[in-house]
Amino acid sequence: MIRLGLRLAVTGGREAITRLALISVAVAIGSGLLLTTLASTNAFSAQNDRYAWLETGYPGAEPSAGTATSGTTASDPLWWQLHGDYFRGRLIARIDLAATGPQSPVPPGIPALPGPGQFYASPKMADLLRSVPRAQLGDRYPGTEIGIIGDDALPAPDTLIIVIGRDLADLANRSDAQLVRRISTTSPSECTTVCAPVGTDANGMILVLSVVAAALLFPVLIFVAGATRLSAARREQRFAAMRLVGATPRQISRIATIESAVATVVGVVLGFGLFAALRPLIATIPFSDERFFTSDLSLSATNVVLVAVGIPIAAAVAARVALRRVNISPLGVTRRTTPRPPRPRRLIVLLAGVAWLYYLAYFSDLPDSHESAKQAYAYLLGVFAIMIGLVVAGPWLTMIGSRFTARRAKRPAGLIAARRLADNPQSAFRAVSGLVLAVFVATCAIGIITTIVAYNAGSAGDPTYSSGTLVRWFDRAPEYLDPVTSISALAMTELLGIPGVDGVTAIHDATFDPDSTVKAPPVFVATCAQIATTPALGHCPVGVDVVSVEPDFGGAVIDTSEPMSEITWPASDLSTDQLSTMMIESIIVSTDGSTAAVEQARTALERLYPTSLGYAPSTISELNSRSTREINRYRQLANVVLLTTLPIAGCSLAVSIAGGLAERRRPFSLLRLTGVPLRMLRRVVSLETAVPLLISVVVSAGAGLLAAFFFLRAQLDERLQAPSLQYYALITTGLLASFAIIASTLPLLARLTGPETARND
Amino acid sequence: MSATVETAATPPILEARHLHLSFGETPALRGASVSIKAGELLAIMGPSGSGKSTLLHCLAGILVPDSGEVHFDGARVDTMRESARSELRRRRFGFVFQFGQLVPELTAEENIALPLLLNGVGRADALGQARGWFDRLDLGGLERRRSGELSGGQAQRVALARGLVAMPDVVFADEPTGSLDSLAGEQVMELLVGAARDQGATVVLVTHEPRIAAYADREIIVRDGKVAALVGATG
Repeated sequence: MIRLGLRLAVTGGREAITRLALISVAVAIGSGLLLTTLASTNAFSAQNDRYAWLETGYPGAEPSAGTATSGTTASDPLWWQLHGDYFRGRLIARIDLAATGPQSPVPPGIPALPGPGQFYASPKMADLLRSVPRAQLGDRYPGTEIGIIGDDALPAPDTLIIVIGRDLADLANRSDAQLVRRISTTSPSECTTVCAPVGTDANGMILVLSVVAAALLFPVLIFVAGATRLSAARREQRFAAMRLVGATPRQISRIATIESAVATVVGVVLGFGLFAALRPLIATIPFSDERFFTSDLSLSATNVVLVAVGIPIAAAVAARVALRRVNISPLGVTRRTTPRPPRPRRLIVLLAGVAWLYYLAYFSDLPDSHESAKQAYAYLLGVFAIMIGLVVAGPWLTMIGSRFTARRAKRPAGLIAARRLADNPQSAFRAVSGLVLAVFVATCAIGIITTIVAYNAGSAGDPTYSSGTLVRWFDRAPEYLDPVTSISALAMTELLGIPGVDGVTAIHDATFDPDSTVKAPPVFVATCAQIATTPALGHCPVGVDVVSVEPDFGGAVIDTSEPMSEITWPASDLSTDQLSTMMIESIIVSTDGSTAAVEQARTALERLYPTSLGYAPSTISELNSRSTREINRYRQLANVVLLTTLPIAGCSLAVSIAGGLAERRRPFSLLRLTGVPLRMLRRVVSLETAVPLLISVVVSAGAGLLAAFFFLRAQLDERLQAPSLQYYALITTGLLASFAIIASTLPLLARLTGPETARND
Repeated sequence: MSATVETAATPPILEARHLHLSFGETPALRGASVSIKAGELLAIMGPSGSGKSTLLHCLAGILVPDSGEVHFDGARVDTMRESARSELRRRRFGFVFQFGQLVPELTAEENIALPLLLNGVGRADALGQARGWFDRLDLGGLERRRSGELSGGQAQRVALARGLVAMPDVVFADEPTGSLDSLAGEQVMELLVGAARDQGATVVLVTHEPRIAAYADREIIVRDGKVAALVGATG
């Protein structure tokens, strides 16, 4: 029986081979995408682990008492200081270190600790140092390059890292340098409290990727199922003929299973081949904001077994289930009549999902707790329920919509299309269900992300000045014993002497008192003479020397309706002279926005006032992107997913339409014989796909916005912002692509319903 | 015996002259000619593969012959564009096939109303006219049934009504009883003949069953792509 099944599968003529090829291609794309998703999840984990050594010295990365210490502890500690620096908006991890003895721990990627005046750079960093004028970058880093940091210390191939050897006494005097005995092996996602400013928590990405996998796999499964159904009628006729000569239903079932297993195994093998061939290319896709090392994009043994065994088994089961829907008797194939119309109870899961998110938004105290994993799972539960709910409720909604249309249809095309939809809404909806999920996930993600980005941008989002205005913050911590109170004339001359620099403002903290233990809210002041040179900081009233300012450089939650540059600050009682004794909270340098001016000013600031904590001087737009960095990675992921899902959903749409046409070739061709114009049949086919498509897009976009609304209400108490133009562009592109796919199947109609069909069938 | 069968003094409504048509290397028609008068019921008989259905398809403007002419009501059908032939079939001809001609998604009454809807008749009016056929065809109560819920005989009667509802000048019936038992077949034929006579429609009937051909005014036999014999004649 197995041999017969195999022979039927591969020697069944052109039609059988076409069918086999189509299923194999569908399975190949499906398993290739599944392998990519699994490998990306692994790559996120690997990338996360590569960030571990950058957590060195941070309290959140220290092993807690009672847990096993990971990493070796050295007898000679190491002075360690990590900063985030920027070049042209790209983050640079800068590590300054100094050994206290020969046993000091050495970070990964370098053979030995650099001595004072030496540094190691990552490959991309070394390229930059070589290609960019020293005044713009190189002058920030003392010493000479003695080697390249190896791949095992880089989170991504393009990561910018520099490890600088410093004089022991010099570094030990820095307030934020720490004495460490071990190099951290705690990844950012394991880091608990205070963590390094350069890592990202991969758990969130992996969690999101699991939703992505579901959103991605569903259209693929629909595609595979659609492909298996193609020319099912012919195959079933063949089975009926075999039943006539004595084959038992069990034998038929076995043959059908073997047939689909052959196609699936071929497909899975192709899928692995596809993945292996495209792996270097996939690694370059910035799933978040960094590409992966090709070697990180790897599969575990479990992953391989899951795909290699799981998919053929799933396909075999699907083939059996499909065959159970038809009754193959020796006298022919009878379909188990029209499927029962879907019932309103199909709405239950969808409503339950919405109700759960509503509960989380308005009644649960979970959003107020700080258990982010629990919160994420609670929301994902709701999102998954809505995804399943949309797929379950889709046929019912399609049926209701098409019944409504059928009652009002005046033309035959509308009537036939609406009746067919109302008759078998399951099959009509199946064709568009992939798109529905893609639209839901994208709408939900983009709705949330757009709002959070707008929310974080605060009032500083004035694009006129944000990329050309540098901010150098000073530490206000009480241990900072040597506060800067004024910008020296030399420093001012140097800064203003840089081509493209327009002005410098020092913002003083009028309340700073290193001896006080009382934490009073700060009052910031600046002179109007300086403010006039830095337009991003706003204005002074006429005739005033000093003003109180409340600068907001983004990332802060301030509901100011106007950008900072348009604010006129209130006058202060303080005099210009009084300011010169007050600690400077920040220095603002205004440039013309050119890269050379910004980077040269940044380099000068870094030399004049070496970074003491956190980040080097940053532009307002860099500050903004820092606060939205994580969320922008999610946005990037959402875009990648949508762009991958749409073509797959499109393929499954095309296969479904072709399958539907093949099923109705006889009635359609007879209608054509009786003089029904081809354009009417085209209209029928277009309508029966376009109607569920439009209904589904509206419903799933609505559900996506609702889910986003509840999430934002619960997490941020924030109202949903209207999605950006990019969102509408993506949805419109998706719809246009779908219509193009529908249009591309129409020539098939002319071929399938020609007079010869009616004659030969 | 002449390959051409000429009838009568009154001008024919439909006429085929020396039709030749091959499918690839296989000739289907080899000089077939026939002429049919208005209101006449012609049966085309012949063994399987003789070319009788091909002849009907050429007469109906479904197929275009490689050579020869087809005339309907004074117009050349074989030289018409496909769109004109489609319109001719839709407005002047009616069709009944062996099986599978009903649109499965539509109810029986909507299937009958379809040609009217296609000709631009309003939905209510078209459905009203369609319903008028149910009692006449002994199908009362089946108006809302789908084709899958009808017996073979019932479905064929619905198809018959659909072929006649737009008051065609010519009804082409290709083995209309081929998939029915003898009783149901006779019922369909009686209805076809009765309705066609009432409407004054010409009927071109392809069958290989003498019992069914007996309903016709005149029979011709097609053999090897030629009209080989005339059986009986109208006066």
